[in-house]
Amino acid sequence: MPVSIKDKMPQSSESMFEENIAIFVGLLRREGLPVGTTEMIDALNALARIDLANRGEFKAALRSTLVKSYRDQALFSSIFDHYFVPREEHQKRSEEAVAYHQQLKNQINRADSELQFKGESLQLTSGELQQYGSLSEQQRDRLQDFLHKTETGKNVESRFRPLLETVVRSHLRYCRTKKKSMQESSGDGAGQEAGADPGREARSLRETDIEAIRAADMPAVEQLLQKLSRKLAIKILRRRRSGPRSGTLDLRRSMRENMRFGGIIFNLKHKPKRRSKQQILLLCDVSASMKQYSVFVIHFLLGLQEVVRNLSCFSFSDNVENLTPGLKGRSDLQHILDRVIRQSKNWGGGTNLGRSLSEMTRKYPDLANAKTTVIVVSDTKTVSLDQAIKELEKFKDQVRRIIWLNPLPLEYWPDYRSVKEIGELVEMWPCSTIAQLEEVLTGRL
Amino acid sequence: MTITLDDLRKKFERVGYICDESTALTVYLALDLGKPLLIEGAPGVGKTEMGKVLAEILETELIRLQCYEGLDETKALYEWNYQRQLLRIQMNRNLEDEQIREEDLFSGDYLLERPLLKAIQAQKPAVLLIDEVDKCDPEFEAFLFEVLSDFQVSIPELGTVRARNIPVVVLTSNNERELSDGLKRRCLYLYLDFPELEKEVAILKAKVPGIADRLAWETARVVAGLRRQQDLRKKPSIAETLDWARALVALNRNRLDGKLVADTLNLFLKTHADQQYFRREIGPEGIDKMLKNPENGGEICRCQ
Repeated sequence: MPVSIKDKMPQSSESMFEENIAIFVGLLRREGLPVGTTEMIDALNALARIDLANRGEFKAALRSTLVKSYRDQALFSSIFDHYFVPREEHQKRSEEAVAYHQQLKNQINRADSELQFKGESLQLTSGELQQYGSLSEQQRDRLQDFLHKTETGKNVESRFRPLLETVVRSHLRYCRTKKKSMQESSGDGAGQEAGADPGREARSLRETDIEAIRAADMPAVEQLLQKLSRKLAIKILRRRRSGPRSGTLDLRRSMRENMRFGGIIFNLKHKPKRRSKQQILLLCDVSASMKQYSVFVIHFLLGLQEVVRNLSCFSFSDNVENLTPGLKGRSDLQHILDRVIRQSKNWGGGTNLGRSLSEMTRKYPDLANAKTTVIVVSDTKTVSLDQAIKELEKFKDQVRRIIWLNPLPLEYWPDYRSVKEIGELVEMWPCSTIAQLEEVLTGRL
Repeated sequence: MTITLDDLRKKFERVGYICDESTALTVYLALDLGKPLLIEGAPGVGKTEMGKVLAEILETELIRLQCYEGLDETKALYEWNYQRQLLRIQMNRNLEDEQIREEDLFSGDYLLERPLLKAIQAQKPAVLLIDEVDKCDPEFEAFLFEVLSDFQVSIPELGTVRARNIPVVVLTSNNERELSDGLKRRCLYLYLDFPELEKEVAILKAKVPGIADRLAWETARVVAGLRRQQDLRKKPSIAETLDWARALVALNRNRLDGKLVADTLNLFLKTHADQQYFRREIGPEGIDKMLKNPENGGEICRCQ
């Protein structure tokens, strides 16, 4: 007989329990985990089959039914630990919450009594009053002093009140912004919160704009990129088992195979398809706005050196520079940064795509051939766009395909003629985050 | 196929499959809820073994479908035995009085059952192991989750074939590509990680007869230390640890040292780059240091 959660608890507790699970599922969804109704029903059915008092079993049952990806497990764990707390912890948190609310109330009352003009409280929101309460003693004294001086000044009338309120609000806003920027520069606040939660951190790193990734996150990013490129390398290396109709018909083998059936063709034999290793030519724009994107793509692709027959890496701005010899066998991020930025002659120059492509074809004719997949990392911003388009058309005819990774946000694409015209010639994909980089290259190499 | 959580734990232990509480619980829930179990994890952590062990525990047949790129319904579900059909037509040419009908040719006699059909047609609920599901094409995956949700298939010439018994389905994936949400939604999810030190020692003792206590601990510690090295391309799996331990037992060793580890490197580090990394960054000295200081959290010290 099917077991239900109803068999485990009285009706009133049952609805509260289900509501709690629904709220928990809502929290998971809010954090971006794809939890559907089916999963929630599975979770409730699973909970009916376990010892609810056993926290380990309770967590494992929810995890196996609600979270279907390893990447999301750390995030699940963190939300679970915050949501389902032991009774003592719950009691403690309730007491803390009551104390906190009382403290806030006191702060607001105090602020209300201190921020007065001509005997009447200023019309400020409770949020603003709270913020006043959180200021240092010195800052509060300064603000009170200002109010006092204004109040006792000459020709000061009651109608000045709105002006005064605006000034106080602006000052509070200024204090808030200053505090926030100080926290960010010292690595506190949001950054630290993210650091405390590995699941959220990895998830957010994948989805952060590459240019916005901070130096402190580089080791984590390096690991993430290594992992992703290994994954892609395995995919490329994977051998394709030849199916029954994999290649062209092999008449000789088919006839030989069917001799035993008296010439009636029962089994057709096909020639196996040959899979050659890919030849990749990477062209990276190293103008100032493109630096970080290019470095990340180079790092990602260098992880594939063992599985692609020939990976050549060039930087371009005003002209092209061959980075391949300096990067061979070295795939650490620091070395790539050194090679691409500090030792590069091109670094930081203006972009001339047309001239760079023409130089590429002239100096390295062997690299751009019918077996080459070209990956271009650029936001398409170039001088002499018309010349660039002509050169790109010629270049396109020489190679197998061109994949263009454009870090420009998708919503800006319609604003640029260069994106439209180049996009008509090549396969162009948005690529401003590691997640997008993975998606584009995993699906297309 | 009713089984309690306690029974399952005991049976896992009896067949020598050492796992943690949450793994046993997830498997129990999959069995009790009748849901497919999707297992992900690094290669060599015991995903495929889980299917085999479940067949042993449930005393039933294991039907395995190995996935690969290009796998289609004809290899996974059913195919008509064209050769046999043609032979039948040939034979009937000379027998003028016996007319052959289309239904005769498309009957069960000419149907080649592939693993999926075999699993749902089995007389006793079988364990269906769909191995490395991430290697098959997305189109096949979509087809697969239709079969797994209804446990019935339509064969145009025969009609709908419903499952005689719902099989226990175990899907494994090395996470080479993201599986579709549809497939995941139909499964319970289990991520198998490399075991804790104590569990690995227990596995070694259970699977390698005659291994000395000290050797088991030292082997597990070295392997755990190597798995913590972020720069290794391929971390030693449980299967490789077992092979290595068996080789050490065959060499009549009852303890490890740096030189022995370096000499038997080929058994657990399977890429040239990893072996070079070991020689460059760890070396026999690093292993010796680690083995002499078990209190340092199992960190392998670098040579420098």
